[in-house]
Amino acid sequence: MISKKEKRIRLLLSIAGLVIFFGVWEMAVQMGFISSRILSPPSKVVSAFIQKLTDTKPEGATLITHFLMSFKLALSAFLAAVIIGVPLGLFMGQYKAFDRFLTPIFEIIRPIPPIAWIPIVILVAGIGMSGKVFIIFVAAFVPCVINSYLGIKLTSPVLVNVARTFGASDWQIFTKVCIPSSLNMVFTGVRNALGASWSTLVAAEMLASTGGLGYMIQMGRQLIRPDIILVGMLTIGCTGALLSWLLGLLEKKVAPWRYR
Amino acid sequence: MAVQKNKISMKNISKTFTTRTGDVSVLKDVSINVFENEFLVILGPGQCGKTVLMNILAGLEQPTGGEVVFADGTPKMGDLGIVFQKYYIYPWKNVMQNVELSQEVKGVDKKTRRESAQKYIDLVGLSGFEKSIPRELSGGMKQRVGIARAYATESDIMIMDEPFGALDAQTRYQMQEEILKIWEKKKRTVIFVTSNLEEAIYLGDRIILLGGSPTSVKAEYIPDMPRPRNYTSKEFLDLRNEIADNTDLAL
Amino acid sequence: MKKFSNLIYAVLPVLGVGALIGVWTILSLQEGTLIPTPVETWERFLVIMTDPISKATLPVHVLVSLKRVLSAFGFAIVLGIITGVLFGWYPRVKALLSPIFELLRPIPPIAWIPLLILMFGIGEVPKILLVFIGAFIPIVMNTQSGIESIDPMLIKAGQSFGCNHRQLLFHVALPASTPAILAGIKMALSSGWMCVVAAEMIAAKQGVGFLIVRGQEAGDTALIVSCMLVIGVVSFLLSAILTKLEGVLCPWQFKKTK
Repeated sequence: MISKKEKRIRLLLSIAGLVIFFGVWEMAVQMGFISSRILSPPSKVVSAFIQKLTDTKPEGATLITHFLMSFKLALSAFLAAVIIGVPLGLFMGQYKAFDRFLTPIFEIIRPIPPIAWIPIVILVAGIGMSGKVFIIFVAAFVPCVINSYLGIKLTSPVLVNVARTFGASDWQIFTKVCIPSSLNMVFTGVRNALGASWSTLVAAEMLASTGGLGYMIQMGRQLIRPDIILVGMLTIGCTGALLSWLLGLLEKKVAPWRYR
Repeated sequence: MAVQKNKISMKNISKTFTTRTGDVSVLKDVSINVFENEFLVILGPGQCGKTVLMNILAGLEQPTGGEVVFADGTPKMGDLGIVFQKYYIYPWKNVMQNVELSQEVKGVDKKTRRESAQKYIDLVGLSGFEKSIPRELSGGMKQRVGIARAYATESDIMIMDEPFGALDAQTRYQMQEEILKIWEKKKRTVIFVTSNLEEAIYLGDRIILLGGSPTSVKAEYIPDMPRPRNYTSKEFLDLRNEIADNTDLAL
Repeated sequence: MKKFSNLIYAVLPVLGVGALIGVWTILSLQEGTLIPTPVETWERFLVIMTDPISKATLPVHVLVSLKRVLSAFGFAIVLGIITGVLFGWYPRVKALLSPIFELLRPIPPIAWIPLLILMFGIGEVPKILLVFIGAFIPIVMNTQSGIESIDPMLIKAGQSFGCNHRQLLFHVALPASTPAILAGIKMALSSGWMCVVAAEMIAAKQGVGFLIVRGQEAGDTALIVSCMLVIGVVSFLLSAILTKLEGVLCPWQFKKTK
């Protein structure tokens, strides 16, 4: 049991931590310990953020344009990966033929980090939309499949046997026992997929793009504008956190039994 | 019967938990005296707050009312020997390391504490298993480790919170005999908590029956039978019926 | 009938791998495609094993990358576990520092690259720092959640045997969360390996990530695909080594065959 007083102390400590963090950062740049050419103080980042909402300078598009470009790309590839990957993983877990046939293929593809796909895809498909969608799809697809597969594999055999004694058919066991019991694992996979697709998107845009948040921070580096880089990083971080939070809410709705 | 020295007095112990839906009173005015070197059984239905009472006795929780008075002064942490229901022996330590833990954290040197731990490992019949890790042991053996570990605190008070609750019936009978043998070899004050009526009558010098909501002391019984007691003797069954009639159903 | 289905199950994995190579071959034989055939890829692989690119053969490039990962990894493990323990075991330290950590955590390590290059140039320091960031985060998170999710009765048992707060940490909390910490280290290693490849792809003169980008610039797709496979194999080996290590460090987690 935590006393009210202790709670208040901890809240104050949290605030103090953040204030000190931003304070030291601001001071370090303002007083010249760190050159403003390589790091911008928080105040400058905030003003750059506000300005960048409407200003297309210096690299050619507003923050909102970049954001929407990245967001649409990541989301469409991510959703495609979930829609195809989760059922595939579930089937692989349930049906031995799928398992035996597909698992070795995944074991070969899985260890290759998604960003290592970028160069070949750029060469084959160019730097347009389709190439990036493919890369992000690969990044998100693998965790979706693997976690759904594991979720089915980790279903308690007792639960399956109980259903069998009730006379459930294999298909009923699959849909009414195995899938619900693997939902939490599926969500873990989807959350990993979300993180992977978002971070792979940034990498793809840094390496080959003419727009998007990854492109923006890459240009920020070339133009030596640390404020632009930091605005980009913060936007990327906040969006990632927000998406992951939304997914958590969805999980509580769809599979509430993990939270009691 | 010789005059019995009072070892522990629980005086009007109350415990109320604050939850989101309001205050829940678990224990109310529980007063129990524990005599030196007796085997006291505290009997109560499941979920009645026995474990809370034991945690208060062990100093792991604070009562909201009342006090526990120890005749020899309030013990510090580590001065009581406690046996837990689900063993709670450490899976990453072998039998010897588990048993010597209480001495190790007091800073006793390795040779002394190993010798003393060995004595208790022998006492509970685990000689030869010193290097085994818990997952290689059966449930009964794990609880033997738990008992040896509690004895190794060198405390003269043993608190056993449903120590055989997780064992199968056969092992349970064996361990009941075993714990009496150990206790007779090395007399200490034992407070043994259980929800099993037969176990209570088989083991106890005295039985304190808890019940009601919030929980308080309902009655005290003294099984006046020589040990080893016979589960099917008339006296045993009579006392069993008497207590059973006075017991609340488990919540 | 049973035997027949067993035979099918035995053949299916071979068919699977065969299908993967088959699809690859068909794609690579399309008119005008840049995708290399499996044979071309294999031959290119043999060549770079012995012929240096940018003054280094393939094994040397792999070693350069591994060295970057491992030197960052040492720091990440030590500092990550310490930070995770502080967060999980000392609530006030957590209150003070974890908001800052939570603020920076959602930023993908790769998004740090431009800032790191701006601050530290394109030498070894920014690459090692990037791997550090990528490895540090999962270790902290797993250590912290490992400590916070210990069965409270394990802690109470320790208290009842006289352990003080610090003894509880070393006798109970740390060993109890070792499996979680190791899982974090495993995640950290694959994340760190990805970070080094990313960093080398953006700015480096040696390393597997550099090699793959060199392949892109030269239109040498056989080089790219051999590098992808090599990166995959290294990643697989690293995680296999750690799985072995898990068995050694937490024997109580695994059944012993007597």
